[in-house]
Amino acid sequence: MADAERTRAERAVPGISLEETVHETHAGGPRSSLKREPVFELEGVSVAYDGNPAITDVSMEIYRNHITALIGPSGCGKSTLIRCFNRMNDLIPSARVDGRVIYHGQDIYADEIDPVEVRKRIGMVFQKPNPFPKSVYDNIAFGPRVLGMKGEMDAIVERALRGAALWDEVKDRLDSNAFGMSGGQQQRLCIARCLAVEPDVILMDEPCSALDPISTGKIEDLMMELKERYSIVIVTHNMQQAARVSDLTAFLIVKLDADEKHRQGRLVEYDETEKIFTNPSDSRTEDYVTGKVG
Amino acid sequence: MAEEIRIQFHEELEQLEHRALDGLDLVISSLDRTIEAVQHQDAELAELVVADDDLIDGRYLEIHQAILNLMATQAPVASDLRLMAALLHVMKCMERMGDQCVNIAKLIPITGHDPPADETLLKHIFDMGKGVREQVRQAKRAFVDRDVGLARDLVRQDDLVDDLNREVFHRAIEIGDDHDVREWAMTMILVARAIERIGDNAVDIGEQVAFLVTGLFREFEDSSHPSEDLAGQHSSA
Repeated sequence: MADAERTRAERAVPGISLEETVHETHAGGPRSSLKREPVFELEGVSVAYDGNPAITDVSMEIYRNHITALIGPSGCGKSTLIRCFNRMNDLIPSARVDGRVIYHGQDIYADEIDPVEVRKRIGMVFQKPNPFPKSVYDNIAFGPRVLGMKGEMDAIVERALRGAALWDEVKDRLDSNAFGMSGGQQQRLCIARCLAVEPDVILMDEPCSALDPISTGKIEDLMMELKERYSIVIVTHNMQQAARVSDLTAFLIVKLDADEKHRQGRLVEYDETEKIFTNPSDSRTEDYVTGKVG
Repeated sequence: MAEEIRIQFHEELEQLEHRALDGLDLVISSLDRTIEAVQHQDAELAELVVADDDLIDGRYLEIHQAILNLMATQAPVASDLRLMAALLHVMKCMERMGDQCVNIAKLIPITGHDPPADETLLKHIFDMGKGVREQVRQAKRAFVDRDVGLARDLVRQDDLVDDLNREVFHRAIEIGDDHDVREWAMTMILVARAIERIGDNAVDIGEQVAFLVTGLFREFEDSSHPSEDLAGQHSSA
């Protein structure tokens, strides 16, 4: 088997339960001949902080127009993993990323790649809404201005706000300070800000954990609309949210090192969400989703 | 990791399963009385069977509501979800088995106080009752033990009951020209049919055992695809 073929065969695609000896066994393949177009291909991605591994040897694919949920207990490396998709870990001096994160055939960690361009194409929404202390309008216009995007700015702002299902609520107060908005509106503003620079992928790191159920519902509805045009990766502690919104779910666990001093995350199972929540292949996934272990 | 959580939910679910499966004991009790009533043409015992079906129906409603409550409040997934779905099926089977006993019990007064019973035919009915009783008992044990092999064995037992059902039919056809005897025999065909359906329900419970364990639902036997050994697919699970 050629190296390239082997790499592809060993990459986790939905339908594979990764056994304890994950890096040796990767047996199996796609459960069905699904017509999915990979956007990301992760090959043996490991991240360490100050030399301490946070996630180890994660290989998986992310697909176009799908919502992929990353679930697992605290410390399993979900947030670390999602930050690999747009080089956010670069911003942490002690972080070291090994392996390859291939985006549309290009390793985004290659020397010639500009991280700013990466983050333009791969936007991110964080746990806590983080609008700028500016007007609603300027929050949206900030990214396009910095990037020198061409086009009528009013139209860009309106399109982004409409895309985030926020236009009707704020169209009459575009000059108001964004801090005056509710938490749910602020989070949708952050999504709109992300959309304004016309990304390809949207990363969401627990986007609803600070929101009430109504605002959460609006974000989830929005995600379902957005996946028609974008590919979405979401980290969530809320398993029911993962079950509700995602097409695919990846489950990570925390493992102790041999010396039992350091914890590191590993990908255990990656499959269609219905499968994960009705009949997971791996007993560790089963134990986690049913709440037998936390 | 490895800290057990949601303990109360899982204890509730465990108790719910016990309570639900104990409903099959009610069916066995009803079935015993039913067969005895048929053997002895005991109309009073038959009345008791009809009256006590309320216990089975009550258990069905109780478990049905409890499952809805747990689904609404606990959002079960994976094996917990499969267990609840399977228990709903099992409860429906239990309720239907109880109804079949009632169907039989209601036939007993029709046969009269001292009908011209045929010993051979009555023996077949008795053997069917014994076989089906064992099926229900085994279905419960297979569920409790999550034993797919034992569940699949219900098909073999059901075939024996089906054979006896055909024997009853043939015996009834050949039973002679006497009007009263023929009428009694026709009634026994209906009794045999009801008992045979109880056996089918036991097999259905076995299929739920396989679903619970494997996550796959397929009928053990499919009359529309008799050539496919669907049951065999479970044996390796």
